[in-house]
Amino acid sequence: MEAGSATAESRAEAAPRAARSPNDRRRGGKLLDLGLNVYALLALLYLLVPIAVIIVFSFNDPRGRFNFIWQEFSLDAWGDPFGVQGLGDALVKSLEIAAVSTVIATVLGTITALALVRYEFRGRAPINFFIFIPLATPEVVLGAALLSLFLNYAVGLGFGTIVIAHVMFTLSFVIVTVRSRLIGFDRSLEEAAQDLGATPWQTFRLVTLPLIMPGVVSAALLGFALSIDDFVITNFNSGSVVTFPIFIWGAARVAVPPQIYVVASMIFLFTLAMMLLTVWQQRRAERMAAVRPDEPAA
Amino acid sequence: MTPQERRLLTRRLLMKRGAAGALGASTLAYLAACGPRTGGVATTSSESDVIPKAKLSDSLFFSNWPLYIEEDRGTLKEFEEEYGAKVRYVEEINDNTEFFGKVRQQYAQGDSGGRDIHVVTDWMAGRMIRLGYVQRFDPAEIVTAQQNLLDRLRTPPFDPGRDYSMPWQSGFGGIVYRRDLVKREPKSVDDLFDPDYKGKVTMLTEMRDTVGVVTAGLGHNPETATLDQFMEAVDKIGEAADSGQIRGFTGNEFSKDLATGDSALVIGWSGDAVQLQVDDPNIRFVAPETGVNLWTDNMQIPVGAPNAYTAQKMIDFVYRPEVQADIAAYVNYICPVEGVQEILAKRDPALAENQLIFPDDETLSNSFIFRELRPEEERQLDEAFQKVIGA
Amino acid sequence: MAARIRKVGLPYLLLLPGLGWLLIFFAVPLGWMAFESLKSGTLEEGYLFSWEFSNYTNAISDYSEQLLRSFLYAGLATAAAFLIGYPLAYFIAFRGGRWRNALLLAVIAPFFVTYLIRTLSWQTILSDSGVLVDTLRTIGLVSDGGRLLDTTFAVVAGITYNFLPFMILPLYASLERIDHRMLEAGYDLYGRRRDVFLRVTLPLSMPGVVAGSLLTFIPAAGDFINAELLGTPNQFMIGNVIQSRYLEVADYPTAAALSFILMAFMLAIVLVWARVAGTEALLGTEGERR
Repeated sequence: MEAGSATAESRAEAAPRAARSPNDRRRGGKLLDLGLNVYALLALLYLLVPIAVIIVFSFNDPRGRFNFIWQEFSLDAWGDPFGVQGLGDALVKSLEIAAVSTVIATVLGTITALALVRYEFRGRAPINFFIFIPLATPEVVLGAALLSLFLNYAVGLGFGTIVIAHVMFTLSFVIVTVRSRLIGFDRSLEEAAQDLGATPWQTFRLVTLPLIMPGVVSAALLGFALSIDDFVITNFNSGSVVTFPIFIWGAARVAVPPQIYVVASMIFLFTLAMMLLTVWQQRRAERMAAVRPDEPAA
Repeated sequence: MTPQERRLLTRRLLMKRGAAGALGASTLAYLAACGPRTGGVATTSSESDVIPKAKLSDSLFFSNWPLYIEEDRGTLKEFEEEYGAKVRYVEEINDNTEFFGKVRQQYAQGDSGGRDIHVVTDWMAGRMIRLGYVQRFDPAEIVTAQQNLLDRLRTPPFDPGRDYSMPWQSGFGGIVYRRDLVKREPKSVDDLFDPDYKGKVTMLTEMRDTVGVVTAGLGHNPETATLDQFMEAVDKIGEAADSGQIRGFTGNEFSKDLATGDSALVIGWSGDAVQLQVDDPNIRFVAPETGVNLWTDNMQIPVGAPNAYTAQKMIDFVYRPEVQADIAAYVNYICPVEGVQEILAKRDPALAENQLIFPDDETLSNSFIFRELRPEEERQLDEAFQKVIGA
Repeated sequence: MAARIRKVGLPYLLLLPGLGWLLIFFAVPLGWMAFESLKSGTLEEGYLFSWEFSNYTNAISDYSEQLLRSFLYAGLATAAAFLIGYPLAYFIAFRGGRWRNALLLAVIAPFFVTYLIRTLSWQTILSDSGVLVDTLRTIGLVSDGGRLLDTTFAVVAGITYNFLPFMILPLYASLERIDHRMLEAGYDLYGRRRDVFLRVTLPLSMPGVVAGSLLTFIPAAGDFINAELLGTPNQFMIGNVIQSRYLEVADYPTAAALSFILMAFMLAIVLVWARVAGTEALLGTEGERR
């Protein structure tokens, strides 16, 4: 998405910003502008307020077992974020599952996307549609169906079944993401490489892959996020394994200690930092590309 | 894509799917002829098999309800010191039906999912036994338990010989309320239906607690009531839910709504209420005049438990009065073990007198035990109740 | 000859792992679920396959309320997400400038927090004793005995919130892709911003609108977490019923039947949208025909 916006920006700059027709800034124009700005701001606030609440309440020192009423400021929870029984284990479990399923889903998904975009073959349209169907299926149905399968084949529910489930529902997302990246892809670079004598494998490895990497990476990130966050499908197929969302669901019944909010805030800030890092990296690459136009933007 | 092509695409898709559908149907027919019967009685259990002797394991998986053991897990640590088995204690049970739904298929295939002990309420314990999902104790391994079990818990109808279950704690299902949010102490079930409290009442998803209390409130004794009388209570609850009188149906989280003031009075469990009082002195438990629901949660060893022999040791361990005393002092539920009252009397006389931990005959006379339901009755009542609570 | 076979077989070979995974772990389970949905029996006796089509008719009649409610809530949430999300996406695409990526980040950021925790956070915000309800009571928007939590409003608001990024991102993607020269031409032709918007921007952003609406409506219709945490049984959706029938009551035939009914509705909606907007827009395959 980052590369896409870069091209849009350059396109916008390339097209002449002709003087606007005098009509369009007349009465209501400025008001409309202001209205839009305010509206957008409110929308952003709406998106971020619950997150702010979570961060704020992570500093709460609740009297009882439930962290719903503000009592007093305290750093205790931050000092001992994994003090709650089972929280740390659940988090680690979720990370492990996410890592494994992301790798599998990204590899499988990229290969599939390549096949779908690059080659003409029989059955491409129905296969496209088939891949889309999991996205159109409610999670309850996905989880329950998979459970039926595992039970009928007497497969023990646990880590393995969770990974299988996660790969299954992230695969479609990965394929769609990588495919949309591939569609706008300029093949002339690949053709040039082939003209210069590279084998198909070399072309793929040295030209194609680096160029689609942003798309693959964003698909991988998407898959990772989906896996960490998943509750419904995991709940059906976890057996006695407790992942982070399952832990929270259970906790919501009994006690919501501030540590849960602490961990959530930590994950949030970490992911934010990662994203900011990639954006900063992107900016740097663009700036470098502007300075030295003959080097490819990373 | 031209409109013709688009139409062709969808038609082709439909035809393809039609063909696939026909194939699918014939597969289904084939499976129907020789398909497996899912569910039902466990195929791998044998009624008369007692848990065989084995080596002590080095680990134990104990599934329980929340707030049922000391916060510092002292009992589990003592057990580990004595027997060398590290206990993995998971508070994964919030509701009998929910837990059953979660483990049912595994148990049916003789797989406990790693669990060595689970704790379920009487009626569910009975169901587990009937379906063959739990193992039979070796009497030689649970001598202490058999000796110290309270007399009145010795011969429950679903397990007269206490061969498949051993009580963990008992408790009362009654009314829990916020002293500062009610007009007066809600001694009557009718208070739950008082329009002044509209939207401030919750009830339990446990059918027997909720329906039991309300049935008693209607003047029928749940120990002998007919199915119709129970249904009367379900209807009343359903009306209250539709009208918004009842805000929701909860498991353990009734305490959350009370804590935030989202609810003023609820049907809840005695021990939880006492533990909550520590944090919020306004929370109280009261036994309705028409009676509280007395229930018992039982330890059972599921089929396929990897450490069944060691699990028996645990069950026996918690029946030692000194060990049980620590648990009773913390969880404040009804203690099933003889001899604990005397020990606590020395530590803290108030605890020994606490009617919620050691109810005397007078208190018990105001309690009822929900009667055993025949399978057909249970199905109908469950179905009706599930509809009301939104399932 | 071998090269030709390799060339023809290559796409299928590449497709095999991914497609295979989906076939085994998506298509086949659906088959088993179909099998399950035609069984009859009880929990204790076991279920036996018996072409029990009445499971479907019974399911529809028993749970029509929840089915309709799910579509209603999902529809409301999608509309709300559109009303909130379109201006925001427009703002980011056309007024974002240098801050574009940062703003997008702010939109996706809530997703970095677990879904459940986000919903719990709404429980706190909408709580009876919370600041928001207090303020609204003072203003008079909420009656003295009223509440925000455990109401239809709370559930729909929760669903809207949780799926907002699903609406905004596709909207943004298609808005951002609009060639600014088209807009220039539009201004030259129509002059007024309102006309440019209605006749140029909006139509060109349609693929995004379609994608965003679908990506919001479909998961929203099957959701149950918002209803469970933010609503009463009077707000329970079909997802709650399926979840309960499967995991609590173990009434597999009904649950399976309901799942298929839900899926059928979803696929029907997808097909209708595909008709209206064209399959390429749906599948994002516009550029594929070479």
